[in-house]
Amino acid sequence: MSVQLWDPDSDVEVHAPTFAALVVVLLAAVIGQVSVVARLPLPGGHPDLVLLLLAAAALVEGPVVGALLGFTAGLFGDLLSTHVLGRSALVLCLVGYLVGLVAEATERSVLVALAAISGAVAAGSLGNVLVAVLLGDGAPTEAGPVLLRALTAALYAALLTPFLFPAVVAGVRRTRRVRRR
Amino acid sequence: MGREQRRSRLVVAILLVITFTLITIDYKTGRGAGGVRGFLHGAVGGVENGVTAVARPIGRTVSSLVHPNRYHDRADRLADENAALRRELASRVEVTRQAEELAALRLLADKGQYTIIPARVIAVGDVSGTDWTVTINAGKADGLATDKIVLNADGLVGTVVSLTDHTAVVRLFCDPRSKIGARLESTQLLGAVSGGSGPNTLTFTLYDASYRVRPGERLVTFGSLDYVAGVPIGEVTKVTDVDGLSRTAEVRPYVSVGKLDMVAVVVGKPPTDPGDRVLPPRQGGDTG
Repeated sequence: MSVQLWDPDSDVEVHAPTFAALVVVLLAAVIGQVSVVARLPLPGGHPDLVLLLLAAAALVEGPVVGALLGFTAGLFGDLLSTHVLGRSALVLCLVGYLVGLVAEATERSVLVALAAISGAVAAGSLGNVLVAVLLGDGAPTEAGPVLLRALTAALYAALLTPFLFPAVVAGVRRTRRVRRR
Repeated sequence: MGREQRRSRLVVAILLVITFTLITIDYKTGRGAGGVRGFLHGAVGGVENGVTAVARPIGRTVSSLVHPNRYHDRADRLADENAALRRELASRVEVTRQAEELAALRLLADKGQYTIIPARVIAVGDVSGTDWTVTINAGKADGLATDKIVLNADGLVGTVVSLTDHTAVVRLFCDPRSKIGARLESTQLLGAVSGGSGPNTLTFTLYDASYRVRPGERLVTFGSLDYVAGVPIGEVTKVTDVDGLSRTAEVRPYVSVGKLDMVAVVVGKPPTDPGDRVLPPRQGGDTG
C-alpha cells in the first residue's frame, strides 16, 4: 500500500492512504478558508487554515509529503482564483518542504511545533505577497497591512495549533493503523 | 541521511520546476474560466454555496451554542429549547436584514433605471490572501457577462472578471488590477479610480489638469460600452498631486468591502445616462 520513492530502505516514503487523507483535508481547508474563515468577523485579520494544516501535516510527515501536499493544495487554490496559475503552489510547496525539514526536532519539544507552525504561517503569508510582487500580479502596494495580516495569522495559528496539531497527529496515526490490519 | 536529503531535494526541485512552468504558461496565455479552471470553479462554487448556507446559521448562533446541552435534567432541556428559540430568532433577524438589503438595492437600481441581478457573496479572496476578489452565487445561467459592474446598496463594488454557469468572480474596486472610469459629480470631467492602496482608499486620477479637485467632491462611474454610468463610487478625501499633468486624489469608497453580502450585477443599462441622481442627496441641500 505504501509508495516508495526510488529506494525501499529510505525514510523518504509516501504512505498512500495517509497522503490521500491529508490531501482531502487540505482541499476542504482551501474551500473552508474562502467561504467560511475569510468571512468571520474576527479582530485584526484571519487565521490561515490552509497554511496551518499544511505546516502541521509537514511536521508529522516530513519534507517530501509536505512539499507534495503544499503543491497540491496550492494548485487547487490557484485553479479557483483569478491570479496566475502556480503562484500559491510555489509558496505552499516551499513552506511544506521547509517545515518538513524540522520534523525531527518536534519530537523533542511541543514548543518547537508551535514555533514552526506559527513561523510557517507568517512566512507563507508573506511569501504569497512576495511572489505576487515579483510577478507584478495584483500585489498590494503598502507594507503595513501585509505585515499586520501575517502577524495576525501567525498569532491565530499559535492559538489554534494546540487543538489542530494533536488532531492531525491522531488522524495520521489512525490512517496508518488501518493499513496494518 | 545525505542520500535521503538529496532525494527530498529532488522532489522539491521537480515540484518547483512544475510551478515555474505553470506560472510561465499561464502568464503567456492569460487567464479565464475555461478548461480545468472553469470546471473547478463551477464544481466548487456549488460546494461553497452549500457551505455558506450551512455555516451562516452556525456563525450567527455560535454564542448560543457555547454551552453544551445534555438532556440530563429539566433545566438542561429548557436551556436547549431556549437556544433553539434564540437560533430561530437570529435567523428571523437575518431574513429581515436580507429583505432590507434587497429593498435598498432595488431602490438604488430604480433611481438609476438599472436592470440588476441580485446575488450573494459565497467566498472571499483566494488561498494566498492576496486577491481582492469575491465569488457570488449567480453566473452565466442567470444572464451575467464579464466586465459588468457589480454594486450594492451603497454603491460600486467591482466588476465581473470570470464566470461559470452558476458562479462569478468579482474583482473588487480595491484590487491593484482594478481601474474604473469615473466622473466628478456635476461635471463631465473624465478620470479613473484604481485600487492597490488597501480596502478603504482608492486613487482617483483626473485627466484634465486644469480643474481643481476639492475634498468632499463625490465620484460616480463614467460609463462605457460595458460599464454602466452613474454608480456612486466615493468621496474625495485628500488631493495628493496638484502640479503634474494630471490630478490625483485619495477617495474614500462608499462600500465597505469587509461587510459585503448582498450585491447586484448591472446587466442592463438605462436608456439615458442617469447623471448624478443615483448619489444620495447631500445633507444641507446645496450641492455646489
